[in-house]
Order: sequence, then C-alpha cells, then structure tokens
Amino acid sequence: MNCPLYIRSVPTQGELKFHYTVHTSLDVVEEKISGVGKALADQRELYLGLLYPTEDYKVYGYVTNSKVKFVIVVDSSNTSLRDNEIRSMFRKLHNSFTDVMCNPFYNPGDPIQSKAFDSIVSTMMVQAC
Amino acid sequence: TKRYSSESRENNSELFTLTYGALVTQLCKDYENDEEVNKQLDKMGYNIGVRLIEDFLARSSVGRCHDFRETADVIAKVAFKMYLGVTPSVTNWSPAGDEFSLILESNPLVDFVELPDNHSNLVYSSLLCGVLRGALEMVQMAVDVRFAQDTLRGDSVTEIRMKFIKRIEENLPAGDE
Repeated sequence: MNCPLYIRSVPTQGELKFHYTVHTSLDVVEEKISGVGKALADQRELYLGLLYPTEDYKVYGYVTNSKVKFVIVVDSSNTSLRDNEIRSMFRKLHNSFTDVMCNPFYNPGDPIQSKAFDSIVSTMMVQAC
Repeated sequence: TKRYSSESRENNSELFTLTYGALVTQLCKDYENDEEVNKQLDKMGYNIGVRLIEDFLARSSVGRCHDFRETADVIAKVAFKMYLGVTPSVTNWSPAGDEFSLILESNPLVDFVELPDNHSNLVYSSLLCGVLRGALEMVQMAVDVRFAQDTLRGDSVTEIRMKFIKRIEENLPAGDE
C-alpha cells in the first residue's frame, strides 16, 4: 500500500509530477533500508540523506522505525538549503506526524487532513523557498 | 498516600490523554450521535465525580466552603491542579454570585485532538461537566455545568460555566446515574 498519506508542493501546479518522483524514490528508500545487515539495521539512522539526484531535483529521504517514509523534493537550483536544515525539516515532520497519530479521530492509513500538520508544512515550505 | 511529582505527571499524561481519546471515539462508534455521546460522557463523569470527591477531600484537607466563591477557588486552584495539572482562572461572576466561569488556557484531555467535520456537535470534554456535578452533589450542592466555549470547536479559549442551583438536603441518598 504505497499511496501517500500526505503530499504538498509549492507551487501547487505540477503536483502530479511530484507524485511520480516521490513514488520512484520509494524504491531507493527500500534499497537503502534493506541493504544493511541485521546488526547495522538496529543502528540505522532515520535520516537517509540524498536519495538520488535528477536533472531538476534533489530528493531526500527519512524512514522511521515504524517504516513510515518521508520524502522531501527540492529544486536543484536551491543551493542554500544545507544538510542540517533538511534534517531539521524531517525532524519537524516526524514530530508533527506523531501528533497526528495521537489524534484519536485519526485512523492510521487514512490521508492526513490535520490543520496543525498543514500549518507546520506551510511554515516549513515558506522558510525553505 | 500517592505523591504526584511533576515528573510522574508528565509520564502519565500522554497515556491519560490517549485513553480518554479512545473512550470518546469508541462512544462515537457505539452511539453514532454526538448529543448522545455528550450525555454518556457526562454520565460517566458523574459516576467518577461522586467517588473522586472522597479522594479529593482526603488528599487536599480543604474544609467546608462558606460560599460559592470559595468553592470556585477550591475547584480551580486545588482540584484542577491536583487532577489535571492546570489552574483555570475564575471569572465572569453573575451579579447574584451564583454563576461563574472557569477559563482553561490548556486542557490535557484535548492534547493532539482535532475534531473531524462530522462531529461538530461533540462536546469532547463533557466528562469534566459530569465530574464537577457529581463531586459537588456529594457535598450537598446541586450545580449545572456546561461548556460555554471550546477550543476544539474553534473558540480561542475553553470556558466552563458553573451555576449554583440549590443546596441538597443531607438525607437524600445520591446514587449512580
């Protein structure tokens, strides 16, 4: 079941192309998390770093220990976003996601429709662009 | 006697919040009607309140309140602090002194909660109304308790309105609802 629980892009037109990029990046994520031996898997870092470069984009990945995957796609021309800023974005996403899960009205697996989550993502995207 | 250190309060509160959330959503599934869920939560709260008052009186050793203003202060500064770790402010007294508001800046029951659109009539924290009503009944006070504002429903604060109805005669037995 690999449909995204949440997808947002700025600007909003051309969102479909991001669906495709994100979907193909899932294969790279799977590769990265299954490619380590059992001992290393226990210490695996959540942040996966740059998944793969394309002509237009840089794609970053992050996977929780519960196998929830976060993907951030950034325009290649954006050279000002540093690695530690991407890490911090993933941490914020992870924390917001945890809050969504704690909403008793949210059913795991449903698309995320939380206003709080939307607002964290909006703020992050404004800061990054 | 139990001691509620601030550390144990933090470790307990997520489980408490999630447990209450599970209770409310289960009631929503069982009754499929917000008004009915509100009623059930209030009833449960009442059953908690008639028992909780004993624990409260034993642990807080507050004496008998002389008037409703004292009751309000004890509820806000002692009871809410003891059980929910928050201290609402007491305001909006009616001219007759028989009605006041508790304003909660934060409410641990609703941490992380977002009401979906199809539950616009749900008063999520209705349990609290019942608790207050049941507890006060055991000290011979009949009160009416309702939510006047609710942050979950878009208001800026959560406001509980409490109204003194009458003194209850001591020989009337109070039972479960």
